Amino acid sequence: MSKKEANWLERNTFHHSIFWDLIKLVEEKERKNLKISLCIPTLNEEKTIGKEVLILRSELMERYPLVDEFAVIDSGSEDKTLEVASNYGADVYLASDILPEVGNKRGKGENLWKAIHQLKGDIICYVDADISNIHPRFVYGLVAPLIHRDEISYVKAFYDRPLNYSSGLRPSGGGRVTEILIRPLFSLFYPELSHIIQPLSGEYAARREVLEKIPFPIGYGVETSHLLDLYEMYGLETFAQTDLDRRVHRNQTTNALGKMSFGILQTFFNRLHAQGKLDKMPDLETFYRRFEVEDGNYHQLIQEVVEEERPPMIEIEGYLNRFNAS
Amino acid sequence: MPIEQIDSKTLLNDLLKEIPSRIEKIRQTRDSFLTDAVLLGEIPSPTYGEAERIRTVVDRFRENGLDSPMIDEFGNASAQLAGSNGESSILIMAHADSVFSPEVRHEIQVGSDSLTGPGIADNALGLAAMISLPRLLQELNIQLNDNLILVANSKSLGRANLEGARGFLETMSLPVRAGICVEGSTLGRLSYSGLGTLRGEITLQVPGDYNWKRFGASGAISHLTGLINQIREIPIPKEPKTQLVFGGLKCGSSYNTSPRQGSLRFEITSEGDEIIGKMENELNEICEQFSAETGTLVAMEVVAKRNNCGIPFSHPLVKTTRSIMQEAGITPQVDPSTGDLNALILGGLPAVTLGLTTVENLREINETVYLDPLYAGIAQLVTLIQAIDQGICET
Repeated sequence: MSKKEANWLERNTFHHSIFWDLIKLVEEKERKNLKISLCIPTLNEEKTIGKEVLILRSELMERYPLVDEFAVIDSGSEDKTLEVASNYGADVYLASDILPEVGNKRGKGENLWKAIHQLKGDIICYVDADISNIHPRFVYGLVAPLIHRDEISYVKAFYDRPLNYSSGLRPSGGGRVTEILIRPLFSLFYPELSHIIQPLSGEYAARREVLEKIPFPIGYGVETSHLLDLYEMYGLETFAQTDLDRRVHRNQTTNALGKMSFGILQTFFNRLHAQGKLDKMPDLETFYRRFEVEDGNYHQLIQEVVEEERPPMIEIEGYLNRFNAS
Repeated sequence: MPIEQIDSKTLLNDLLKEIPSRIEKIRQTRDSFLTDAVLLGEIPSPTYGEAERIRTVVDRFRENGLDSPMIDEFGNASAQLAGSNGESSILIMAHADSVFSPEVRHEIQVGSDSLTGPGIADNALGLAAMISLPRLLQELNIQLNDNLILVANSKSLGRANLEGARGFLETMSLPVRAGICVEGSTLGRLSYSGLGTLRGEITLQVPGDYNWKRFGASGAISHLTGLINQIREIPIPKEPKTQLVFGGLKCGSSYNTSPRQGSLRFEITSEGDEIIGKMENELNEICEQFSAETGTLVAMEVVAKRNNCGIPFSHPLVKTTRSIMQEAGITPQVDPSTGDLNALILGGLPAVTLGLTTVENLREINETVYLDPLYAGIAQLVTLIQAIDQGICET
């Protein structure tokens, strides 16, 4: 790992607990005259949306006025998501009603993209709707680096995965698609981006000035595309990441993860193509990069993985002699 | 009619008139106490393991601007909202412990008109309502003359035998006019007396040198069954009202091995202290005799014992509470307490326990509190505090 990369990891990786003083955070936000919008994209989330709206509104709008605007943007839920969300005071929008002249596409990325048009904040924080242990840290942990550090424009969340935890040492906590697909891909093509501990986390906050400049895949590739596009435009320094401790959410089936991976691969290869990395393929990296967290410190583990190959057996003289092949 | 009585009546009538608008105002400002109920409810807080929930309560007290929040030597969190003259105080208590172990997933679901999860009624909601009082009083433009002492007491349930509440009261130095215990369950609950209670655990052990060949020899399950049958023969009087409940039985762990030990938990409640004493003696005799006759080791441990206590039904505190409930559309259900109220009344304080809302599946994983009745439940609490503050509840 280069010194620059180690430095980034040290300076731009936070734990939410260092931002506990919300009074100070609100003061700094007001001093910088920033407005913050919170967006929850939804599709049939009646079981968890009530708690998210109740807690985040009550704590971050009423008790501490950190968030100026709170919207639920829905893809057409058929359950009580909209009723429950508005019962607890969220502004509720149908994605199809926003910018109707561009038409309607169904997917989480559509809601995130239309939020940029609908919401007025200088910073937009996105939080998924399926978090069953929602807590204000899921928002203040992400917007705080943007409030404090002007050079940061995009903050990703990462989490504990308690099932993997044992004896103080735990792996980086990515989900299955992160560990099996994204981290190997980043190690091969964008080694610097492998410092993002959970590149697919659905919680992130960003400045409007960068969000308005990038395209949004409407489906599974939206988180990956954000990282690739902003990295291409601004480099690693524009990112930060915050440890939000534990996130409890529903588990996905392997089939669903396969579909997700397929969508992500499309996004990924589109960018490789656009950046000329497919036509002029560089030598592939042979270092696989992953993370471990120990006592609150994050270590990147770099392991050389060289896939050596043997030729077809039929080219081996000894084999030919043994079987009298010609 | 003496002027003082007329004044009390007028004061009370003025307060009662406020209740309907107060219920609406509380409904509109519900978010902060519902949030507290969810956040506190998601922190496991078994009896003797309340420390994290108690720390969160202290943080909340501090965030609400209360004077010197603290955790005392008994593990209770307390804070004070200073009154305008502060010569006396009103004590509000909500227990912080729950019957659920930390292994249970403490997740509270928020529905349109309900909250569901382990311990939300008993007593995350009561705790949240107590914590929210300073904000609620401010939003309702109520300035008290008395200090309001808020206590989240630990070690209340089961074997803890009200240790937290008793410890707090023993060391409290401020003059207190009256106390209110706040419970999530159930709207309409009106407790003004503490029921005489004895909680105990009987352990039975088959000794190492037990003669398995003797006539009637068997494992701990059969012996405990026999013992329970003998206990059930104890006559239980209808007057004074008395009840014996078997609350827990632990014995064995397999299909085909006779266990060597087991235990039985029980509770006797009675309106007659002498009945409790008599039944305790009978239980001891049964255990001794059973032990001798079966060659097993039987021991009874009393883990909690309390005498009957209470204030009269005609006490102004009880009368005023009933009037407030009636005005709030709540039907009072008189229910003697076996909880913290005992500690308050035995400590010499006039006190009542109130429940806040309707509840389903109490003490189950899917314990549910309903929100619509809750606003009236909190309005009754606030109005009763104001009535105590105005001296309406004095004898």
